[in-house]
Amino acid sequence: MNAFLAPNDYKSPLKPIWCPGCGDYGVLQALYRALSAVGRPPHEIAFISGIGCSSRIPGYTTAYGFNTLHGRALPIAQGVKLANPDLLVIVAGGDGDGFSIGGGHVPHVIRRNVDLTYLVMDNQVYGLTKGQLSPTSPRGLKTVTSPMGSLEQPINPLLTVLAYGAGFVAQATPADMPGMTALIEEAIRYPGFSFVNIQSPCITFGEEDQQLKAHKARMKPLASLGHDPANQLAALDLARAYGTELYTGVFYRNPSPPPTYDALVRQRQVELQKGEPRSRSRVLDGYLKA
Amino acid sequence: MTEALATPPQKQLAADKTSLITGSEAIAVACKLADVDVITAYPIRPYDTVMQYVAKLVSNGELDCEYIVAESEHSQFEIVKHASAVGARVFCGSSGVGWMYAFEALTVTPALRIPMVAMVGNRALDDPGAFGVEHNDALAVRDLGWQLVWVDSAQEALDTALIAYRVAEDRRIFLPCAISCDGAFLTHSQALVKVPSQEKVKAFLPRYDRGDLLLHPDNPITVAPQVNEDWLMEIRRQTAAAMDRSPAVIREAYADFERIFGRSYGNPFFEEYQTEDADVVLVGMGTLSNPVRVAIRQMRQEGKKVGFVRVRWFRPFAAEELAATLGRFKAVGVIDRDFSLGSPYRSGVLATEVRAAMYPAPNRPPIVGFICGLGGREVTVPAVREMTESVYLAAEGTTQPGTKWIGLRE
Repeated sequence: MNAFLAPNDYKSPLKPIWCPGCGDYGVLQALYRALSAVGRPPHEIAFISGIGCSSRIPGYTTAYGFNTLHGRALPIAQGVKLANPDLLVIVAGGDGDGFSIGGGHVPHVIRRNVDLTYLVMDNQVYGLTKGQLSPTSPRGLKTVTSPMGSLEQPINPLLTVLAYGAGFVAQATPADMPGMTALIEEAIRYPGFSFVNIQSPCITFGEEDQQLKAHKARMKPLASLGHDPANQLAALDLARAYGTELYTGVFYRNPSPPPTYDALVRQRQVELQKGEPRSRSRVLDGYLKA
Repeated sequence: MTEALATPPQKQLAADKTSLITGSEAIAVACKLADVDVITAYPIRPYDTVMQYVAKLVSNGELDCEYIVAESEHSQFEIVKHASAVGARVFCGSSGVGWMYAFEALTVTPALRIPMVAMVGNRALDDPGAFGVEHNDALAVRDLGWQLVWVDSAQEALDTALIAYRVAEDRRIFLPCAISCDGAFLTHSQALVKVPSQEKVKAFLPRYDRGDLLLHPDNPITVAPQVNEDWLMEIRRQTAAAMDRSPAVIREAYADFERIFGRSYGNPFFEEYQTEDADVVLVGMGTLSNPVRVAIRQMRQEGKKVGFVRVRWFRPFAAEELAATLGRFKAVGVIDRDFSLGSPYRSGVLATEVRAAMYPAPNRPPIVGFICGLGGREVTVPAVREMTESVYLAAEGTTQPGTKWIGLRE
């Protein structure tokens, strides 16, 4: 049994270099609190990220961290989890990392159901490279690469991961710190792949109606709407409102989570160790003609 | 008596305009002047500055092109590759690991004889992370049929982009061309640039005509067939033959450039600085030419006869010509802003190529390789002096190591 770990025990001495007012500060604080509530010591946690402002987050924790390549956080996290299934593995990144350059990995990590927690800090823009169009940029958004407004329909992260079959899908905003902390904790505790889309505003390149003040006014907790998180169809319906409504809370939680990939691998290992070991003669006999 | 034919009056073309722009903006302006049809982008520093300037030109109505921000560099390069196959003039670009992520597309582009022009904002490859310049990104495609050129000023970036279209889209070549611009030092530094008139560019750059290789319903052809050992070697040889024709086409393009724009780059393949009476020379690519020139001027005042050869075109590599030039000196120092781990004499890529070029030459002065300025570290004037000292020692017969790392904390 571990001694009580305070949120500050997960805080590294490295000072974040995000812009003052960035939503990611809130995410980091909520994460410290959620990790403290879960209680796993930092050395049992691996924090994997890609590239982008939000992907700097592993360095600001005392957990093991790997700031990987752009879009490649999910495959690396799967490798980490399968090599050491006892680790608590958290993946973090932005909407560009997760749904553009790394988008190809999302369906596969979900169908494999590797026990990871994926936190996407969705700010609808490429912030680190100074404000280009991102996969979740709303249609019509003016950025440095779309001065006349985007012509493309944005990706809907919630609908996408729900459609791929994720067992835990939630949305949070730093405008509701207790709510976000509880959601991150719940996502970590969910046995299987869990996804939290965090509406984390970009103070420098983001739109005014996407800032925390606007979030506070607009957000609608799903619990207050009487949504049943076990109802996948209702979750899909609510997720369609991404971009128009700011629903917070759990969209979907599989009431009977299927076995995770890591659990299935362990089970197979146990099965293979049962019975007679494969002797050399038994292997060679396999080549004999019947 | 035959009457002498009167020279037709030279048509007066509109004059250049001077603008204060960065290397990246110069490339974007060249895209506008070349009237590029399809441009794709994906953000990565330092290349992303080009895509922003391009977006601005498109939005201002100055550049009429399809502009797509793709979902990754791989898609970015694939989109323009196919646009080019159906007859569009295309532009693309990236930096560092972004360029590497597009590698599969980069490999097939010359193999399909696609005259794509790309800008590489040279950046160190991860890991460890660094935004600064290193040449390994662009050099990674050196064996595949890409024409590779390094520039050292915003003016040269603009001019070379126009020349690159002319060379790449020449029916005798049809190979892609990547223009390397050192990250930050060139991509983000402003300088006064003469922007030529559209009229002059029109006179210099013909329309892209894919001819019989155009992918079109009226011209049913197969692009990228599965040929296996039956035909692969012959097709490879055709690509090699195109690269072999490239030097002559480059020369033609530079000669025409001088005739129409009135600016001369001398020898297109490499530039010589104070080499006429030099005892020893340094060789390098890209913006390190600036501190090298400053250091040479200082050393010349102290009576040291030092020169500099800046390699522009790395592919095709002007081996015979460069070997003949370098054979004039008592010793040669090659500065690499790249590395080639485990290579002969543990040198960088350029030094290895220069040594290979020198082997059949009648005069083979000693060559010292230097690795300097990696990850955006500055190549300083004292560093250039240190390298020159070593080259002098080699000239005097004191054996020098094959490669020295300069400006390294040890």
